[in-house]
Amino acid sequence: MVHNFRTDVAIDWCPGCGDFGILTALTQAFTELNLDPKNLAMVSGIGCSGKTPHYVNAAGMHTLHGRGIPFATGVKLANPNLKVVLTGGDGDLLSIGAGHFVAEGRRNTGITVVLFDNQVYGLTKGQAAPTMALGMQTKSLTRPNVFGQVNPVALALASGYTFVARGFSFDTKQLKDIIKRSIMHDGSSLIDVLQPCPTYNNINTMEVYRQKVYKLEDDKTWNPTINESSADHYEEIYQRAFMKALEMDKRIPTGVFFENNTIPSFPRRLNEHVKDYLTSPPALQSVEKNGKSLVDPANSFVDKILQ
Amino acid sequence: MENVDLSIVIGGPQGGGIDTASNMISKAFAYSGYQVISVREFHSNIKGRHSYVHLRVKNSQVRSLKYPVDILVALDPDTIFEHHEDISKGTRVLYDADFETSELSQARMIMRDTSRRIKEMLESAGHTLNVRGVLDYMKSKGALPIPISFGNVVSEAVPDGTPTRYFNTFGAAATLAVLGIDKNYVEKVIKSVFGNKEKVIGPNIKVVDAAYDYCANHKLRIKNLPDLEMGKKMLLTGNDGSAIGKVLGGLRFQTYYPITPASDESTILEEHEELKWMDGENTNLITGGVTVVQAEDEISAINMASGAAMTGTRSATATSGPGFSLMAEAISFAGMDEIPLVVTLYQRGGPSTGLPTRNGQSDLLFALHTGHGEFPRMVISSGDVKECIEDSARALNYAQRYQLPVIHLIDKNLANTTELVDIPDGSSINIQQPDRSDGKDSFSRFTLDTKNGISPIGYFGKDIFWLTGDEHDEKGHVTEDTWMRDRQMEKRFLKLQTAEEEIPISERAVVLGPAKADVTFMTWGSQKGLVLDVIDALGKKGIKANLLYIKMFEPFPSKFVSEVLKKAKIVIGVESNMTAQACKVIKMNTGIDVENLILKYNGRHVTEDEVIDASLRIIEKKEKVVVLENGA
Repeated sequence: MVHNFRTDVAIDWCPGCGDFGILTALTQAFTELNLDPKNLAMVSGIGCSGKTPHYVNAAGMHTLHGRGIPFATGVKLANPNLKVVLTGGDGDLLSIGAGHFVAEGRRNTGITVVLFDNQVYGLTKGQAAPTMALGMQTKSLTRPNVFGQVNPVALALASGYTFVARGFSFDTKQLKDIIKRSIMHDGSSLIDVLQPCPTYNNINTMEVYRQKVYKLEDDKTWNPTINESSADHYEEIYQRAFMKALEMDKRIPTGVFFENNTIPSFPRRLNEHVKDYLTSPPALQSVEKNGKSLVDPANSFVDKILQ
Repeated sequence: MENVDLSIVIGGPQGGGIDTASNMISKAFAYSGYQVISVREFHSNIKGRHSYVHLRVKNSQVRSLKYPVDILVALDPDTIFEHHEDISKGTRVLYDADFETSELSQARMIMRDTSRRIKEMLESAGHTLNVRGVLDYMKSKGALPIPISFGNVVSEAVPDGTPTRYFNTFGAAATLAVLGIDKNYVEKVIKSVFGNKEKVIGPNIKVVDAAYDYCANHKLRIKNLPDLEMGKKMLLTGNDGSAIGKVLGGLRFQTYYPITPASDESTILEEHEELKWMDGENTNLITGGVTVVQAEDEISAINMASGAAMTGTRSATATSGPGFSLMAEAISFAGMDEIPLVVTLYQRGGPSTGLPTRNGQSDLLFALHTGHGEFPRMVISSGDVKECIEDSARALNYAQRYQLPVIHLIDKNLANTTELVDIPDGSSINIQQPDRSDGKDSFSRFTLDTKNGISPIGYFGKDIFWLTGDEHDEKGHVTEDTWMRDRQMEKRFLKLQTAEEEIPISERAVVLGPAKADVTFMTWGSQKGLVLDVIDALGKKGIKANLLYIKMFEPFPSKFVSEVLKKAKIVIGVESNMTAQACKVIKMNTGIDVENLILKYNGRHVTEDEVIDASLRIIEKKEKVVVLENGA
């Protein structure tokens, strides 16, 4: 049965919000990949993006502000067979959760991080988020933004994410394709999604973005992927991704910036040390026999016994 | 045979192998059939500052430490300076004669205030401000110095080695030689401590031989401890006990961020990651394991463990006060979302960074109130290594049964106490499985249709349901409906009532010692064994005392505690904190004041002698509060 991955929960995002496009791209990607909704975990933090799991008919976890990445990591490491998709806002992932964002790059656990990038804190009435440019003054700000801007694509590249992309919430087809690729990628992904906040961001509107965005894949020579065969070109491909990441002003590239298939995911790294981790992950191990413990300390802690 | 009761302090610079030396002494006594307990005291420092181990050996149950010691072993001058008060008539002070002229002013690793106090003591007693001066002071109190040139003896035994590298082995071996422990045991210990490292074992055995020869030639033996029957035992710290208990209790996922004194537990789990057991038919050996993950911070650690828990994995994290502070928001989430989660909270001296490597019991009230809003939790505490094993397994069961965060308190003193314990029988540990979802599509994770507040749990990977930190409906979707809010709050709290009904009182609070007594002590955590020893000692003085020992602080055994305290005559609370937190909890739950207090907050382990003394001041001199100050 083809699943449409939608619940009957009433969606309370503002009319015209970019979130709708992201939700559509997500559920279409899940349907096209024919995922089993029981094997999909949707995780989120707090904010408008945080509500997403309630609108998706799959196991969902709407967690704490900034903490989506740790929850998602815990789910994935306990059961690496699950597909884990995280939806988070720019404040959620790059301000309160910035430490986890960087750490996830080091781990490369194998989760898909979808960054709802609208440059404002919507639910708390439009404060400046880390992706807003210095000096920008949206209508709800009492003075121009006094903070500098974080570049999520460059930060993800520097942190070690092995799949880094950008989408635009009003191009759901491209975004859906990126999401599908990221879910099938064996490693952690960052998808920076440009999206207008029609209520609080009167500067970067849908029209402004439409004029600025262009697709990396329209350049037929663009190849962001590193495989075993192209590992020699690692530096070149990585540097080119960085150069593209810095293009943020007059024109903004979308598409896949970087895909490295040569770095083992965290579950694979664990499997090197924890015997049978991948075939018998924590969530699938038994712990008891007839209500009694399986483990005999005389076997498992033999070094602590005085003989 | 005569009662054997020996106390030892062995001290030296951090990084100088004091741990290994203490391990050698403990194991040698254990092999000889003696009971032994020890606690490690150290600075927040990698190399150089003063560290020591306090041991006690008996031929009967040993459960506390005491001063003065029978043997003080000093591998460096600082040990002599720091421990000048730990001696009495007859104490042997075994030290390296080569540092006899070391000046106090040159002992730069001693804390400035400590140095000033030692200086004032030496000046007022008219002694020189060096090691010799302190030794003179000790001699004036009846101590008997045993100077040995460690360098000479060791370099003769191991001519091509770096002598200082063997000072710890030499100190340990000399101690055992002085007490007349069979040298064969010491050699066995060397092999067990250094494993298969032949290059290390050889010279260390030569050093042991040299120590034994030296002590024999100089007639230093003061005792001849006979061999006793040794049962099959494990030598474990509280950290070890907690790790083993978790594994027995079915733990499969542990997260942590490095912090003293909690991270040792995670390291032990990582060392024993691979587990084996027989399958249902007892034919195939199954391999499994605990996955241990070092997170980027404690916030991540607890949230990762919560995420893992919702896949049906028994999950836990371990931390200490500062890390636990960071976990507060996630504890609240686990309460709200009914996540089976165990947090092992190793208490150390606070506030803030406080005394990061020292003891404390000042996080009880915090553990009871961590996190915003009102939600059910369980808070339990362990008092010795055996309890660490049992309680860690129990904590996982409680978490599964009642689907809530369980905070397991272990104090630093217990974490770093080494005890001999019987090998736990894995098949005696019960594993309680939670009520599970029926797997149907209509599954409601937070169904109100329960009599005991426990809704069947669902797992990511098996069921479709939602979790949210917001108040939620039965499916787990956000709601602000007033009726649903009230019912969900009531359902969550009903679980605590269920826990009260189901958990036997023996797992929550007990009276140890005689049922009727003139004095009733109340304590928790690592003072348990110590207070029992104090009760024995008071008994010999004609004072009949017993102990109300509390293990579960939430849900609090109010009725039981209230009944015990109403019958008690003189009640004395013993705690390692300044504000008598357990006594506050008792007052809060029963309305009863514990009027007499023995408190310690200098971060050092409580000792038997000081509690006997304090008890007598309360019982006989009617003092109300006694603050304990022992410890270097």
